[in-house]
Amino acid sequence: MFDIRMGDRGEVLLSGRFDAAQVDKAKAVFDRLVSTTAVDFKDLNYISSAGLGVLMATQKRLKDSGQELKLRNVSGHIRDVFTIARFDLIFDIK
Amino acid sequence: MEKTFKRDIGSLEKAFGFIDEFAAKEQIGNSVRRSVYLAVDELFTNMIKYHPANVNDITIVLEREADTMTITLIDRDVEPFDIREREDPNLSASLDERKPGGLGLYLTKNVVDHIEYKYHNRSSVITLTKKLRRDDV
Repeated sequence: MFDIRMGDRGEVLLSGRFDAAQVDKAKAVFDRLVSTTAVDFKDLNYISSAGLGVLMATQKRLKDSGQELKLRNVSGHIRDVFTIARFDLIFDIK
Repeated sequence: MEKTFKRDIGSLEKAFGFIDEFAAKEQIGNSVRRSVYLAVDELFTNMIKYHPANVNDITIVLEREADTMTITLIDRDVEPFDIREREDPNLSASLDERKPGGLGLYLTKNVVDHIEYKYHNRSSVITLTKKLRRDDV
């Protein structure tokens, strides 16, 4: 079960499993972002390359206007995947 | 354990359930389970992507030896596609130059210990081996 919603402080809250079947649902939220936004991974327990693709496309679009995604509460499996994909080079991760 | 899945992105959820069932039976821990999710997810998605009009289902076989787990995906009536020969993406490139293509197979190569590919009778058979450490089970 994957869920994505906006938090009280304007952050994107992800939970569950972000796989290829969830791309459209995720893009519906990420495509609406126009300013620097934190993405909270605390409750996300899985991500595949399809999810990474959504994050990368959003980061490219936001960076073009001087904004960015900040990836927060990243740990465990998600951190391992970000490390393999060298997301540290293109995202602010904490 | 062996199970065949409809060639549809919606089958991923069922494939994850199949992995969960196997992991519970074989007492395989969450770390390995997530690596298996990732490898199956990426390869299954790739098989759909490269042969979208194929009507054949995709078979997944999960097996456990003493200290290894093997994951086999079988795709029938397809052109050969040896993932070992795919070039790795350039992960040092700038954001503008980075492309999402190839990332899934790169992740797969990094979460398993060995990959075998066989092609016969127009079937692709990809076998992944994952070593199990003492704290994985």
